[in-house]
Amino acid sequence: MDRWSRGTSVLHRRDARAKTIAALVFLITLATAHRAFPALSILYFVVLCSTILAAGLPLGKALKRAAIVLPFSLVFAAISFVAGDSGRAATMLGKSYLSALAVLLLVSATPLPELLRGLESLGVPRFLLMVIQFLYRYLFVISEEAQHMRAAAQAKSGSVRRLLAGRSRFRSAAGALGVLFARSYGHAEGVHQAMLARGFQGHFQTLSTNAFTARDLAFTAAATTLLIGLRVAVEAWV
Amino acid sequence: MHIPDGFLSTPVWAALDVAAVPAVGYLAKRAQRGLEQAKVPLLGVMGAFVFAAQMINFPVGLGTSGHLVGAALLAYTLGPAAAGIVLTAILAVQALVFQDGGILALGANVLNMAVLGMLAGYLPFRFWARGRWRRQAILLGGVLSVLVSAIAALAELRLSGVRMPMQLFQISIALFFISALLEGAITLAVMETLESINAGFIHRPASNGRSLGWVMAATVLLATVGVLFASAYPDAIQKLAEAKVFVDTPLAGYEAAFLGTAWMRKAVAGLAGLVLIFGACTLCGRLLSRQRGA
Repeated sequence: MDRWSRGTSVLHRRDARAKTIAALVFLITLATAHRAFPALSILYFVVLCSTILAAGLPLGKALKRAAIVLPFSLVFAAISFVAGDSGRAATMLGKSYLSALAVLLLVSATPLPELLRGLESLGVPRFLLMVIQFLYRYLFVISEEAQHMRAAAQAKSGSVRRLLAGRSRFRSAAGALGVLFARSYGHAEGVHQAMLARGFQGHFQTLSTNAFTARDLAFTAAATTLLIGLRVAVEAWV
Repeated sequence: MHIPDGFLSTPVWAALDVAAVPAVGYLAKRAQRGLEQAKVPLLGVMGAFVFAAQMINFPVGLGTSGHLVGAALLAYTLGPAAAGIVLTAILAVQALVFQDGGILALGANVLNMAVLGMLAGYLPFRFWARGRWRRQAILLGGVLSVLVSAIAALAELRLSGVRMPMQLFQISIALFFISALLEGAITLAVMETLESINAGFIHRPASNGRSLGWVMAATVLLATVGVLFASAYPDAIQKLAEAKVFVDTPLAGYEAAFLGTAWMRKAVAGLAGLVLIFGACTLCGRLLSRQRGA
C-alpha cells in the first residue's frame, strides 16, 4: 500500500484535498442512490476501475484487497435475504464493495502523511491527526514485537501447549500482553525524548509546499460533475 | 464489529457523523488539556499496541480463541478522553488503510466504540476502582464496553431497516455476550499483570467535583443507547417486559397509552425514560461524591 501510494501518475500528483473531496463525493452519491442501483453500480465500477488503471495501480490486486469487506457484508446480506429482502441484500453488497474500492483508491494514490495534512486543512483536529500518524508509524514496529513474543512463546512451550491447562495459558497470554504494553510505553518515552532532542515543537514541519493549484480545482470539478452527472443520467434514463 | 459503508441509511449515518464531530472535538480538547504534550507519541504508540495485541490469542476452550478489543483497557490506563482519541485514531486507520469499516460510517463506529463503548467501560472503574469491588468493576467495565458498542451497532442497523429474524437476533446477542465476557476476563487479567509490573501505568480518576459533569454526560449518552435500542427493537423490550423484568418500572412495556401515534408514544416514553435514568444517575453521583468527601 505504501509502495502504491508513491507513484507518479496524474492522480498521484493531485493535491490530497482534491482527491479527498472527490472520494467523499463518490461515497455520498453512492450511499444516497436508491433508484436504478444495478445500472449505476456497474457504471461506478467502470469509473473506479479505469481510474485505478490510469493511476498505474495493479487492478487485480486492488479488486482483491477491497474484497476484504465482503465476508462481513455477505453475512448481513444473507440475513436480509433470509428475512425476504433480497433487493437490500444486493444493494448492501454492492455499496459496501464499491465504497471500499473507492477508499482503497484514495489511499493508494496518496501517501498517508500527505492525506492527513490535507485533512488538517479541511478542519480535522490536528491532535487527532498526529495521533493517527504516530499510530501508523509504530503499527508495524509494535506488531513485529508481538510476533517475536508469539514465536518465543511457541518455541518455549509449543509442544507442551496442549498439556497446559486453559487457565495457565490464559494467564501466560495476559502476561505477554502486559509485557507488550510496558515495552510500548517505554518505546513511546524514548521516541518522545528523541523528538525533543531534535527540536520538536508540538507539531510536524513539512518541506513540501501545500498549494491547491488550478489543476487540482479542475480535477475536483471534473470528478464531481462526472459522478453526479452519471447518477442523474442513469436515474433519468431508467 | 465495524460497520462498512452502504449498510446504514442516509439519515442514520449523516446524523451520527454530525454527532461524532463535536464529541471527538471535545475529547481531543480534553485529552490535550489533561496531558502534557509528551503524550502525543504515547497515544499513537498505544494505538499501535492495541493493533498488535490482537495477534496474541487467548484460549476460550473448544479449540477457539479470542483477542483483546481494548476500549476498557485504554480507558483504565490513559484516562477516558485520551482513550477516546486513541480509539478514534484506530478506527480511522482501520477504515482508511485496511478497509475495515466505512468512511461515511466512521461517525457511527466512533460513537459506538470510541465514545459509548469506552465510557461504558470506564464508568464502573470510575466509581468502584478504589474500593473492595475493584476486580469486579474492571471485569464489568470490559464486559460493558463490548456489549454497549455491539448493541448500539445492532440498533443503528435496525433503524436503517436491516431486518433480522428474531431467533437470529437472539443468537447474535448471545454471541456478543460471550465475546463481552471474554473481553472482561482479558481486561482483568492484563490489568493485574500491569499492576504487578508498574502500578504507575494505571490511570487514577480525579476525585474533584468537576468530573461529576463528565459522569453525568456519560450516563446520558449511555441512556441514549438504551433508548435507541428500545425504539429499534420494540418487540425485544416487549418480551422482556412480559418476562416480568420491567414490571416494576413506571414505564412498563414503554407504553404511555394516552398518547396518540405510535411514533409520538415511543419518543415520549423514551424521553421520559431518559429523564428518569438521568435523575437516578445524578442522585447516585451526588451521594457517591458526598460519601467520598466525608
